Amino acid sequence: MTQQGPRNGLLIAAPAAALVVLLVLPGFIRDEYYLHVLVGILFFAYMASAWNIVCGYTGQLSLGHSALCGIGGYISTLLFINAGLSPWIGMWIGAVCATGAGVLVGWPCFRLRGPYFALTTIAFAEILRIWIDNTEEIFGIELRGAQGLSVPLKGHAPALFQFDGKVPYYYVILAMLVGVMAVTWWMERSRMGFYLKAIRGDQDAAEALGVNSTRYLLSAMALSSFLTALGGSFYAQFFRYINPERNMGLDLSIELALMGIVGGQGTVLGPVLGAFLLTPAGEITRATLGGKFPGLHLVIYGLVLIVAMLFLPKGLIAPFRRLLGRAPARSGASKPTTT
Amino acid sequence: MDPIILGIAVVNGIVVGGLYGAIAIGLSLIFGVMRVINFAHGSFLMVGLFIPYWLWQFFRVNPYVSILVAAPALFGLGYAIQAFLIAPLYKRERAMVLEPLSALMLTAGVGLIMDNLTFMVFGPDFRGITLDFASKALWIGDMLNINYTRLIAFLASLAITVILSLFLARTDMGRAIRSTAQNRDAASLCGINVMRIYNVTFGLGCAILGMVGCLMIPFYLVSPSIGLAFGIRSFITVVLGGIGSIPGCILGGLVLGVVESVAAQFVTATSASIFSFVIFILVLFFRPTGLLGMKV
Repeated sequence: MTQQGPRNGLLIAAPAAALVVLLVLPGFIRDEYYLHVLVGILFFAYMASAWNIVCGYTGQLSLGHSALCGIGGYISTLLFINAGLSPWIGMWIGAVCATGAGVLVGWPCFRLRGPYFALTTIAFAEILRIWIDNTEEIFGIELRGAQGLSVPLKGHAPALFQFDGKVPYYYVILAMLVGVMAVTWWMERSRMGFYLKAIRGDQDAAEALGVNSTRYLLSAMALSSFLTALGGSFYAQFFRYINPERNMGLDLSIELALMGIVGGQGTVLGPVLGAFLLTPAGEITRATLGGKFPGLHLVIYGLVLIVAMLFLPKGLIAPFRRLLGRAPARSGASKPTTT
Repeated sequence: MDPIILGIAVVNGIVVGGLYGAIAIGLSLIFGVMRVINFAHGSFLMVGLFIPYWLWQFFRVNPYVSILVAAPALFGLGYAIQAFLIAPLYKRERAMVLEPLSALMLTAGVGLIMDNLTFMVFGPDFRGITLDFASKALWIGDMLNINYTRLIAFLASLAITVILSLFLARTDMGRAIRSTAQNRDAASLCGINVMRIYNVTFGLGCAILGMVGCLMIPFYLVSPSIGLAFGIRSFITVVLGGIGSIPGCILGGLVLGVVESVAAQFVTATSASIFSFVIFILVLFFRPTGLLGMKV
């Protein structure tokens, strides 16, 4: 990945410029609504990137990541409501729990491949969602079932992850996004990244070469679960309300997978690109035509997904990479070619 | 638990289960032949329910007569989606760049569009129709009764299964479909137009949903959002019975129907589906070929 010359420099310069723009952007936006949309975009970019760590790099399609998001959100919120524990601490506890859940579920699931894996992750996520949907309280802790939980308002309390206005949330999620991208970048270049790509290309061949596929798949799963749950806690704090349908439902999982796949799975920038294109497109249609045509933004998502599958199977990132002279095959998305 | 109530639950489960089986056949057929998980499966059923609904609302066409419209319509829809959207993926697969799950995501996109277009046009309401004899029921003893419309749906589901099995076993087209499922390249060498077989298979899988929709609409409320629930239920049914096995579908459907119906006696109906998912996971882990499936 070295000696790419000035073109590789551009690949670093472009995101760096984008980061600078994102850092100063809140100074120019006075309208709370636009800031809200921006936070939403960054949130989905973060979540799709976390999803990408396990699904993009290993090629195993998880449609159960929303459950991990829900675990993060529920645990930090429940600890806050019942024990008064600041979500700043609770989110790490939630992340650790989600990691445990991810590894526990992943361990048997990774024996299954392709559609079987995808369907099993749906089943696990749905079990959790339906259970919470129908549970009012457990061990004296109120879960409030399908009604969902509200985060109690404390006014401007930075120590409790509550701020006046949306700007602080913006910077928190921006920092998280940069963090997840750095982790992905580091992982891609580590031994683990190469092993994951090998597993993605051909799991049997990788094992024959001595790659302990279960270990690396589970490591990726643990990392991805941890980060996804942190995102779930952020969601709970930002929207101050979570419910099983929105935070654990299949729709969220599909949305994350969609952004990762449309943007370009198995790359650092792909899922971010996907989120930056799809979230605003969805938000604009919802805001302008949503009253007249509810559901139109999902039709657009569906169309984009179909077009991407047919014409850009490596994601929107592929043409950009070609432009920069980097063979997309580098991403590890390619299968061994025999022809 | 009162044995009579339990008995009623089992009978209800069997009746509903037969229908689940018929719904899942299309999914199983398509996967067995094409190795494509049709994520839009439930959405096709939703369309199959809306067709007889509107035919009844506008022209008072008996839902059972509507089969003559719904089945060909769904066949055409499935045929077109396969021919224009999924087929290009297959053609690309020859160049060895097909991601194994791209067809799944593609059909997920198709499902999103179908669900939400219907939602935009018809709104989120649950709609149903009332037939004169829909309230009449077959009484067995004093306690047990089966609604006639459900009984018809159950028997027709079994009939559909038998007819489809015969079609696959006896006709030229059926043989061509089976041989394509076994080995696509060998079938192609024998002069079978594989892409056309795929189109017909996909259309056939959807046409069954058109028939089932007409059978269900007399006692079932349709809304644009029901697709996913039925899609997931069909995955469970197919995995239970063994992917690609048509009698397995009916068996899987019966098991699922009985489990859901009996579980609903112990917990709320909404949490009852947890048990279906648990069975689904157990089968995948311990008997991935399903109850009647063969080694793939």
